[in-house]
Amino acid sequence: MNKDLVLMIPEIIVLLTAVAALIAEMLRQPRIALSACIAGLALATLATIPMLGENATAFSETFRIDTLSIWAKLILLPTTLLAVLLVRAELGGSDREGTAYVLLIMVTLGSLIMAGAGDTMLIVLGVLLSSLGSFALVAYPRDDAATEAAMKFFVFASMTASIMIFGLTYWFGGTGSTLLSELHILEKSSALAAIGFITVVIGLGYKAALVPFHFWAPDAYEGAPISIAAYLSVVPKIGAIFALAQVVRDLPTDSGWQWVLAIIAVLTMTFGYLAALVQQNVVRLLAYSSIAQAGYFLLGILAIGISPLAVESLIVFSAAYVAMNLGAFAIIMQIGRTLDSFKNMGFKHPLAGIAMVVFLISLAGIPPLAGFVGKFLLFAAAMDAGFTWLVVIAIINSVLSLAVYLRIVMPMYQQPTADKPSKSEEKQDNVISLYLVKPVWLVGLIFTVLIGLAAQILLGRL
Amino acid sequence: MLPIVSLTLFLPLLGALFIMCQRNVAAEKVHKIGIITSALTLLGSIWMWIRGVADSGFAQVEQIEWMPSIGAAYRVGVDGISLPLVILTTLLFLLTFIYSSKVRERPQAFVVLMLILETAAIGTFTALDAILFYVFFEVSLVSMYFMIAGWGHEDRQRAALMFFIYTLLGSLPLLLAILGLYLGGDTHTFDMRVWIENPPLEGTAAMLALIAMLFTFAVKTPVFPFHTWLPAAHVQAPAAASVILAGVMLKFGTYGLVRFALQMTPEAFREAAITVLVFGIVAALYGAFAALAQTDIKRLIAYTSVNHMGYIIVGVAIAALTLDPEIRAIALDGSVLQMISHGLVTGALFFLVGMLQDRAHTREMDQFGGLLKTVPLLAWFFIIAAFASLGLPGLAHFPAEFQIFLATLKAAPWAIIVILGIVITAGLYLKAISQVFLGASNEKWKTMPDLDRRELWTLSPLLFFIILLGVAPSWVLDVIHKTTTALTF
Repeated sequence: MNKDLVLMIPEIIVLLTAVAALIAEMLRQPRIALSACIAGLALATLATIPMLGENATAFSETFRIDTLSIWAKLILLPTTLLAVLLVRAELGGSDREGTAYVLLIMVTLGSLIMAGAGDTMLIVLGVLLSSLGSFALVAYPRDDAATEAAMKFFVFASMTASIMIFGLTYWFGGTGSTLLSELHILEKSSALAAIGFITVVIGLGYKAALVPFHFWAPDAYEGAPISIAAYLSVVPKIGAIFALAQVVRDLPTDSGWQWVLAIIAVLTMTFGYLAALVQQNVVRLLAYSSIAQAGYFLLGILAIGISPLAVESLIVFSAAYVAMNLGAFAIIMQIGRTLDSFKNMGFKHPLAGIAMVVFLISLAGIPPLAGFVGKFLLFAAAMDAGFTWLVVIAIINSVLSLAVYLRIVMPMYQQPTADKPSKSEEKQDNVISLYLVKPVWLVGLIFTVLIGLAAQILLGRL
Repeated sequence: MLPIVSLTLFLPLLGALFIMCQRNVAAEKVHKIGIITSALTLLGSIWMWIRGVADSGFAQVEQIEWMPSIGAAYRVGVDGISLPLVILTTLLFLLTFIYSSKVRERPQAFVVLMLILETAAIGTFTALDAILFYVFFEVSLVSMYFMIAGWGHEDRQRAALMFFIYTLLGSLPLLLAILGLYLGGDTHTFDMRVWIENPPLEGTAAMLALIAMLFTFAVKTPVFPFHTWLPAAHVQAPAAASVILAGVMLKFGTYGLVRFALQMTPEAFREAAITVLVFGIVAALYGAFAALAQTDIKRLIAYTSVNHMGYIIVGVAIAALTLDPEIRAIALDGSVLQMISHGLVTGALFFLVGMLQDRAHTREMDQFGGLLKTVPLLAWFFIIAAFASLGLPGLAHFPAEFQIFLATLKAAPWAIIVILGIVITAGLYLKAISQVFLGASNEKWKTMPDLDRRELWTLSPLLFFIILLGVAPSWVLDVIHKTTTALTF
């Protein structure tokens, strides 16, 4: 029992941080809540570092402390910290500011539980915990768009979660246990394995915004504050992806689950980029792009158990994805939501312009940036697992993705045609605190370049 | 031992970083830094040339661990195929910097992008690790995209977009082939030397990898019917970018064809050699005919590139086809030399067209006439370069094309029909010269100034080397020959 608690220290710190922040918010002390969050997240990250290399389970195998879950903490906790800064920049001073921090921490906790789940019930717990917080975060501005987005999100989430819970009962019936490690019993009864797996894909696919369970994502991102959209597009998504990886680790390999994921990967990548190609709103564009990026994760997941590169590729790409996506959203916070607001932006803000270009071409997977290394490893893993055709489709989609991202880059460096005063900049209702946004994208920029040039930092410690 | 290859490779990047760190510098100073950096880089490559190449395999190899857990490392080195290309690259970049020192529109960004492009180009030729090669190969696309989009002509945004997407589509199959070679080998490594020593793939897998690579390099070279991005990009690109695009970046395609396709999947290439040969012939003839039909002088030169690169494809295909090592060496010697000659000649031609456009703001040939009298220096430079381009003996293209045709005659005599291309290019250049420089002079250009000092500095080295390579090619050929005779497959 004591050992179990020791293994869970980072999660416990995160929980206590949320409680502390909540108390501070109840006392109407948002600044203290903010400091508590930053300190707690930093502490939890530090507490995780000594665990690297550990491979254990806690609480009778229900929670796994393995490479995936440790790296999930090392990636998601600092990400949450950056997201807290972004939220502070955007919502700081509003009357329920502190609740946003509390909810962020709770959603992160849910995502961490998903990423380390060794038990189907923990997956359900993680999904619900992160979903509940997300609804409230999306609805935070309390205007029509946000409320509608949160409502859609809520209905969608309830539906998919109940389907997943329903399907998981089949697994329970077949194995007599809720543990993932018992799933190998289903080797002989592939129908049971398939029903359960499909519902898990629905439940986690909604969290990760995989096509066709993605409908909530663009609306929710658009309705929510940009900082919340930035957060939702990375943290819960990676939590769900890692949970899926935990599930398939124990599934019998010959039950054909790879094919389910391969087909979903094709749909997700292709649809995501095609839809992004016609967006006028940059937030929606990035929403569809983050849907498409989720499809690339699946290439790594379906190689789990076959290729030794699978887990490495998932971790590297997660870190890369976090750095570049969060960075891109931070720039949007600074510049504006529409494509028009990016006109000439490269001349007006040279450094931010360079950073945005780096994020976007890294998202497109162009070397020597983080996105390239991540995708390269994912491709290698999928080819190693025998899915060359899927890699071909992923590569074609990478070309499509370049067209998507260049739609933002092109206006950035277009010559000003006439000297019209740009309205878009002044139109934002609340002023964003730039001194908090800039460090966030600078950190994103550093990591996007660093992971690209020295991915060994992530590979070597695995 | 000083790591000269790495120093030469990263010197331009350092220059770029140095410029980026400075704020509000005068345009002259930025250009000066660019010229000095690229001059030092040229010195570095000359030093590499003095150190020379090995009798077989790669020389001056430098390596550092990079991603040991997947077998990727930073590995660079040169052999007789890559070393002349490195020299060509550093020379052309220096001249481009001299030529562009008049750019007043965002000079800082211009020089930074050009310097990054230079590192990418040198890196592509010297990389001995497949991932490293791919990284440099792609970085060149990004900087070229911004060059065209930022300093191009009227329709630059569209042209830049098309260039980027087209060539990215082209280069991704190479990634697939690299992964295939990586996973197919016994030891998981991205070391290109290992792949060349023991080609990791055989049979169908090798053929698929070869097809992927051929696609990539065919787009890059470009070979008909994958050439459509080239005229569009050239017409819109600024003259400096055109020179680099034609002079250096097209060679990525043919260099890759030799380095990857021929050396890493030799068996499959032999099987496919006839097909490649036909593609080469079609490209050479198509490029010549298409050039004949142009009225825009820049498009004309762009299409002659398709023609000249077609000869290189023919040479490489012959090298794959033949079993006689002697003929193979001749064919490859010719192909590699052709890469160098084309870089020098087309570089000069694009500079000259750029200078003409700076003066006249048009590129339509029928707008000119009688320029020989108004701007004699420019005209004579153009005429010499054009004669070199059509393969006149005594000028740079002749020894290269002669060797390619010689090997073709010995290995696949029917393929000699490709020589028709020479006749057509001769015709089209004579037509262009008579339209632009001879005949009645147009009143409009009476006051056109002749070449100034900056332009002479840009052109003279190229003209010198064009004549030198034509008269005495052996100093380059010896280096190339050392490597091509040692090739075993």
